[in-house]
Amino acid sequence: MATIKFTDVVKSFDNGKVTVIPNLSLEIADKEFVVLVGPSGCGKSTTLRMIAGLEDITSGELYIDDKKVNDIPPKDRDIAMVFQSYALYPHMTVYKNMAFALKLKKMPKDEIDKKVRWAAKILDIEPYLDRKPRALSGGQRQRVALGRAMVRNPKVFLLDEPLSNLDAKLRTEMRSQITSLHQRLQTTFVYVTHDQTEAMTMADRIVVMDKGVIQQFDTPQILYNEPANMFVAGFIGSPQMNFIDASVVKDNGLKILFSGYEIPAPKEKKEYLEDYIGKDIVLGIRPEHFLSAEEAKSEKDCCTMTVKTEIAEMTGSETNIYFELGGKRHIARIKAEKKICSGDCVKLAFRSTSAHFFDKDTKMSIG
Amino acid sequence: MKSKRSAVNFLIYTLLFALAAVFLAPIFIILLNSVKSNFYISDSPFSIPSGESFAGIQNFIKGFTQSDFLQAFLNSAFITVFSVGGIVLLTSMTAWYIVRVSGRLTKIIYYLFVFSMIVPFQMVMYTMTYYAFELGLNNRLGIILIYIGFGAGLSVFMFSGFIKSIPKEIEEAATIDGCSPIKTFFLVVFPILKPTAITVAILNAMWIWNDYLLPYLVLGSGKSRTLPVAVQMALTGGYGNKDMGALMAMLVLAIVPIIIFYLFCQKYIIKGVVAGAVKG
Repeated sequence: MATIKFTDVVKSFDNGKVTVIPNLSLEIADKEFVVLVGPSGCGKSTTLRMIAGLEDITSGELYIDDKKVNDIPPKDRDIAMVFQSYALYPHMTVYKNMAFALKLKKMPKDEIDKKVRWAAKILDIEPYLDRKPRALSGGQRQRVALGRAMVRNPKVFLLDEPLSNLDAKLRTEMRSQITSLHQRLQTTFVYVTHDQTEAMTMADRIVVMDKGVIQQFDTPQILYNEPANMFVAGFIGSPQMNFIDASVVKDNGLKILFSGYEIPAPKEKKEYLEDYIGKDIVLGIRPEHFLSAEEAKSEKDCCTMTVKTEIAEMTGSETNIYFELGGKRHIARIKAEKKICSGDCVKLAFRSTSAHFFDKDTKMSIG
Repeated sequence: MKSKRSAVNFLIYTLLFALAAVFLAPIFIILLNSVKSNFYISDSPFSIPSGESFAGIQNFIKGFTQSDFLQAFLNSAFITVFSVGGIVLLTSMTAWYIVRVSGRLTKIIYYLFVFSMIVPFQMVMYTMTYYAFELGLNNRLGIILIYIGFGAGLSVFMFSGFIKSIPKEIEEAATIDGCSPIKTFFLVVFPILKPTAITVAILNAMWIWNDYLLPYLVLGSGKSRTLPVAVQMALTGGYGNKDMGALMAMLVLAIVPIIIFYLFCQKYIIKGVVAGAVKG
């Protein structure tokens, strides 16, 4: 069992001059795979390093398994960490790298050997046990770093952007390997990344952070379908959600007006949108929720608009169309039924039910 | 095109051979004269020894018996080994602290070390000798301390440069794996510093082994005298008369250990210089 609990944790640097984490409260359940995600400097790595004990906590409490660990050194926290730069010991062979922590614990040699070979087999690095890290590829090094963490059989696995130095193909491969490793080891995983695709594909729950503050902590599905605010809505999803200035009017029903177009307010949001009648709001539409004119034909409650294509990107089965609306550039991703070129006028539509609405001042989701 | 390139190559190689000859000439002359009798050394110092001029190992035997070579050799070896060991160990630890614990104080300490590099020895030698005698450092152990002080500037500078290029995560990984700071240094950091440590060791060993002035000032010509002092003093007779043959022979013997040490470690000197300069 390994739960992690932050209670009102504050982290400051330079004698309190710079506060990176103003107030963090978070509970990670046992055996959960939690991903901390956010832009650079949002405090996700600092949060992970506080769990590891590599950063002191300025105030507040941190518990691992209901045990306060604020003043417990890293080696006694029963955690293992995988670093972005792998942090393998360059003068040791792969075997020695993996056996190092166990040797320090004065574990019997045959037991160390058993554990190292067990991890090496799972990670498919058995042929490289006698090699030095410099003789390995990036992916192999990352697997060694994982193996070094695995052999310790820790309560908590901490992974700090472990895939960011790998190429796209290897990253996809390692992603699934880490996920299956989590399922196999049944341990709590805390994973830091700035890549929302990694977060969405691997996590049980995702913590979205900005400026040291948790914006939302929930499952990938909820973050995608019900973002708490504009930051989460913009951060989760690729390409990111389009934000269009709009206003709410009551004219023959509740309607949302934007850039000369209108859509009826969706039934489930009506109650909340009524508070905004006569006010400005922000309309959010995910690029993949746009429909081509053909697809929209059979749809009800759809808003169809004609836009001029600035750039068209063919990605295979889909086409990304960049267009301007309300003085801002937006992007739509539709099925690539026919070739679209820059300068072409295209009809795009979206369902009112797939639209998101945000308070223009607080940036919070409406409804 | 090809012939032009080979002509350029020829010129470059000729120049390099000429330079190598200039640098090696003094050693070659010492080698030649170490097996010549005294008369021929002053009469024809550049001739190849043969027949009458060839003295065999006579000069070596004379030098060995007259200069108390073995005692001086052991003194030099003791002072060099422990000074170099002390410099490598203490300055690597100092540099690690300076780099990893960044603050105003460590910055000041670092600049003091760098400053000590540019102060010429001649500027401090009188005060240093005075205090060495005052503090009772005019013995083999004392001079080791002095050498550690004089060698610290360059060594801390070199180690700091290299440590900056080591990712801090490696040390953090060691901390998580269960290392205390001391274990982190000796089990993880120091082995990574090996190329730089060898470079520092070679540079300091060559300097300390060959140094004449500092041991002359601090140890004088007493029992703890080092090899360069012993060779120069023992083989000097009255009215400045010198047994040049024996002197040359002893010089040959004196440079042999340091040449062997250099040849043994020279592949690391290149590695050390490059490793510190390029972030890997």
